[in-house]
Amino acid sequence: MSAAATVAHDHDIRPPAGHGKLRVLLVEDNPADIELVSRELRRGGFDLTMDVVETEEEFTARVRSNSYQVVLADYNLPQWRGLEALNVLRNEKLDIPLILVSGALGDVSAVECIKQGAMDYVLKDRLARLPVAVLSALQEKRLRDERQRAIDDLAKKVEELARSNRELEQFAYVASHDLQEPLRMVAAYTQLLAERYQGKLDEQADKYIHYAVDGAKRMQTLVQDLLAFSRAGRQQGEVKETDCNVMVELAIANLQVAIRESGAQITYDHLPVVLANSSQIPQVFQNLIGNAIKFRGPKTPQIQITAERQENEWVFSVADNGIGIAPEYCQDIFVIFKRLHTRTEYPGNGIGLAICRKIIEQNGGRIWVTSQEGGGSTFKFTLPAAPGFRQG
Amino acid sequence: MKTSTEILLVDDNPADLDLTTEMLSRGEFSGRVRTVNDGAEAIAFLHGQGKYAGAQVPDLIVLDLNLPKKDGRAVLADVKNDPALRKTPVVIFSTSQAARDILGSYELGANSYVSKPGDLQQFALAVKSIQDFWFCCARLPKEEKQL
Amino acid sequence: MQSSEVDILLVEDSQDDMDLALHALRRENLANNIFVVRDGEQALDFLFCREAFAKRSLDHPPKLVLLDLKLPKVDGIEVLRQIKSDPRTKTIPVVIMTSSKEERDLVNGYSLGANSYIQKPVDFDQFRNTVKQVGLYWLVTNQAPVINGVVLQTTR
Repeated sequence: MSAAATVAHDHDIRPPAGHGKLRVLLVEDNPADIELVSRELRRGGFDLTMDVVETEEEFTARVRSNSYQVVLADYNLPQWRGLEALNVLRNEKLDIPLILVSGALGDVSAVECIKQGAMDYVLKDRLARLPVAVLSALQEKRLRDERQRAIDDLAKKVEELARSNRELEQFAYVASHDLQEPLRMVAAYTQLLAERYQGKLDEQADKYIHYAVDGAKRMQTLVQDLLAFSRAGRQQGEVKETDCNVMVELAIANLQVAIRESGAQITYDHLPVVLANSSQIPQVFQNLIGNAIKFRGPKTPQIQITAERQENEWVFSVADNGIGIAPEYCQDIFVIFKRLHTRTEYPGNGIGLAICRKIIEQNGGRIWVTSQEGGGSTFKFTLPAAPGFRQG
Repeated sequence: MKTSTEILLVDDNPADLDLTTEMLSRGEFSGRVRTVNDGAEAIAFLHGQGKYAGAQVPDLIVLDLNLPKKDGRAVLADVKNDPALRKTPVVIFSTSQAARDILGSYELGANSYVSKPGDLQQFALAVKSIQDFWFCCARLPKEEKQL
Repeated sequence: MQSSEVDILLVEDSQDDMDLALHALRRENLANNIFVVRDGEQALDFLFCREAFAKRSLDHPPKLVLLDLKLPKVDGIEVLRQIKSDPRTKTIPVVIMTSSKEERDLVNGYSLGANSYIQKPVDFDQFRNTVKQVGLYWLVTNQAPVINGVVLQTTR
């Protein structure tokens, strides 16, 4: 029984500004009211297409077959409470703004209607407000849609990035793992060749063999380091309360030889409990302490490990009296394979700090260094505090 | 009276077999070195099957884990579940340092687990350690057996 | 703080042999975490973490058990049998160190799952050397199983 309501253009009224096409579904049984709404909307500048329904069945049928930008509903209908259109919309999963157009109700009911999901409420004897209300509702819907689109885009990008990262990690791991075996063959047999033929062929041959052996050995350590880097942060283990005193002890246990040879003195006292993956943290201390010992100057290495609470995190300091780092390199040294010295000066591939950074960042912290050349270094990093624990 | 000491090397990499054999001879190993390239061959050898009929059970088995046909774990399980073979010491010699592989080997009854080092000198040392311990320090179960 | 890490469990009832073994291991710096028990019952209690050793954890077994065969209370073969037949302890490396020359002990030992079998030399010097070799092989060359543990790579 519904048909698109067409109203003859009223040539005396020019729309103040064109708001473009508007598709409306009106829930109303009173023809006079239908006419009033239609006229008001056109007067408000809308190019109107309007369908009218009276019952829930008609409403449901309409919203399923057509698309509307706004629903206007009368509160009191003989067969149906207009507000219940909201339920239909919800069931059909349609996000169309609904504006109640109704006779006077108490204030309480108005608020109730908004609470139940109506976008707005316009009184029938104040219909002049209707165009503005519709505009408002359309705008809010537009903003809502934009925001949702932005969120969806972001979520998609994040997922893509995560997938790409996973693939890269997997690749790095597999590559370095599978490279080890052939490298081992090359390294072992070039060395055997060297042993067998050194001095028995000419000088050129000796040199060639030497370069081959050297290259093979360096490749081996590079691949091992790459593997170690790729493994760092992949260890099984959940984030839990982690006693850093134990972490340091584990690290020191693995550095026994270096500590003994250098006479290094390491002090740490009452380190706190943090929230972290406890299978990864010893590696951080091990690399930092190991570096402090390796890059020592003429003095016997003295290393102090302390921690200071700052809001929700602990700031750890590993301070040494070694050769120090020129300030302009303090950022670079955390980059994988970045070295500041030749291999003959200090051994290593430049991976320890890259691993530290990877682990710390994965555990929600930051790592940095303050230092001067010749003046020792202090490496600092943060880790989240464990709730309920004070300094140990 | 000791029969000739024999060591069985099981490895699919001929380069590693050569390397190990070379290191054993540098260590002046006076026994016989037998080699097989895959798990199925190893099992046939140990059970004296087919072309290995009459082969004596070795004094020591040095076994890699990743082998074609039957892998090292299958060979290990076969040896340690066979009442005639189970007393033969098996040393797993593998590049794997995965805790899971190490523990798994012991669970299957491996006597010892030695990591194959990547460095030649370390490799030589590892083979020498195996040789020195098992043939000069430990007693092996086969020795007093009469033919 | 005392760590619960025991590297070597020495099961030995002879005072002389015990002293010699400890001395030999100390010289090689292998005796840092060594625990001695004097009879088979204590050995079992230690490894199964019960009675006097109830506070020990089955997740931190020793890296090596040096097991004499002639022991009071429970003899070495029985100790070996129990260790190697229980899934919780069967992966612990057990090296028999005995003065017994019995062929039967040798074959039995390996058959029951002993990781290795050492005959104690009569000579004082040779004994020390043997213990040193045993310690070096099982603690340095051999990779002991780690249960639920974190295996950190030692810094090169």
